[in-house]
Amino acid sequence: MASLVALSVGFILAMQASTELGKLGANAFIPDLVSLSLLRELGPLLIAIIVVGRSGSAVAAELGTMKVNEEIEALKVMAISPTRILVVPRYLALMIMLPILTVFGNCVGLAGGWAVCVGTLDMTSSFYITHAVQRPELWDLYSGLIKSVVFAHLIITIACYQGLGVTGGAEGVGRATTASVVYSILWIIIADAALTGLFFFVL
Amino acid sequence: MREAPRKIASGPKKIFKAGEVILEVRDLVQVFGDRRVLDNISFQVRAGETFVIMGGSGCGKTTLLRCLIGAQKPTSGSIHLFGEDITRMDPFEMDRIRLRFGMNFQFGALFQSMTVGENIALPLRQHSDVDPSLIEMIVKMKLELVGLTGFENFMPSELSGGMRKRVGLARAMALDPEILFSDEPTSGLDPVMTAVVDQLTLDGTRKIGATAVVVSHDMTSVFRIATRILMLGNGPRQGQVVAEGTPEEIRKNPDPFLQQFVRGEADGPIPLRMAQDEYLKHLLGDG
Repeated sequence: MASLVALSVGFILAMQASTELGKLGANAFIPDLVSLSLLRELGPLLIAIIVVGRSGSAVAAELGTMKVNEEIEALKVMAISPTRILVVPRYLALMIMLPILTVFGNCVGLAGGWAVCVGTLDMTSSFYITHAVQRPELWDLYSGLIKSVVFAHLIITIACYQGLGVTGGAEGVGRATTASVVYSILWIIIADAALTGLFFFVL
Repeated sequence: MREAPRKIASGPKKIFKAGEVILEVRDLVQVFGDRRVLDNISFQVRAGETFVIMGGSGCGKTTLLRCLIGAQKPTSGSIHLFGEDITRMDPFEMDRIRLRFGMNFQFGALFQSMTVGENIALPLRQHSDVDPSLIEMIVKMKLELVGLTGFENFMPSELSGGMRKRVGLARAMALDPEILFSDEPTSGLDPVMTAVVDQLTLDGTRKIGATAVVVSHDMTSVFRIATRILMLGNGPRQGQVVAEGTPEEIRKNPDPFLQQFVRGEADGPIPLRMAQDEYLKHLLGDG
């Protein structure tokens, strides 16, 4: 799912860029634009939003169901901390996997851009690859990865908080799942705006 | 790789001999909003007893049990468990006490993502250094105790309600607790299964000198297992102790409230519906 979205984003970026940059005779900059937008912005953001829908909601629903079934209570009564056994592993897993998935999404997105550039704009593969890889600096990649780490923190914290805070049975689980998705997306976009400002305007 | 068990400082541990007070509740009050759910409850449980807390729906039985296991802080009053006041304990201190008792939840509260065997093994894996092969053996023994030999690899969703309750009981007894708390262990079970679960509760506690605190409103079961009974009231006597004593004393107690409950009669002092004039007033308004 993540690769399909990343691939489509690569297509879209290249196609949109070609319609406008083509008018200026600047098609040569399309690979630069695709790779910069993906690395800095769209890769981390879109992959995070997919992970919210796929994993954030699943975590909220799973922990919420455990809360409703008294499983959380049972853990506490057994002197086992739910945070240690349920939250920490999920937190670490997402903090590691989201940046990795983002790198993968970036690669697939770049491939999408390549398909459009080589297939319809008569660019050679070597030209595309040279520009798409040489133009961005390491900081462009790193800033995107830092974002994805921050997004991972937000997604899993919100999902666990909503899941463990469920009250009121199955209906409560549904409410918490929805809330975790809505708040995660909201905070991811706000954090993205703040981080972009910090990385490219303040620093 | 197996996660290293987390060490909880056990500290000096007093061993309670049969007949010593192991649990003492003094003037316990629990208020939710403007509702006084538990009203000045005081009682003692002695080591080796099977102490049953009974009462109608909504009388505060489960709330009382939640207070006893430290899942909820009472509004006021004290609970001395193993001689220590748990109402003043922080969660870390409470963990030390929690290792000494087991709790059997009303619907089992089994971990749905784990097999039956893993459910029972979890407290052992987390709190002891026992070798995995030995844990496997203990799990088999506990399952045999509750009549579910060979069910280790089943998921909780594949079991019937009665089986889940029995697995819950096996898990509660995994660490051989000194006190077993049990929340309505027989509700929703057929008479045969009720008798089986009652026998299991007794086997798991009385035979090894442990104490059982059982919440129930199933009269047959209560009189079968209890050595002492505490009856909580509802309605005008919400959350108050109506009576306390041995099953024989409870049977002979003339309190009409208690007798209505024990005999399961619809008419009596336990208010279910409004009195006629009160009902008219409610329907027509004060005018």
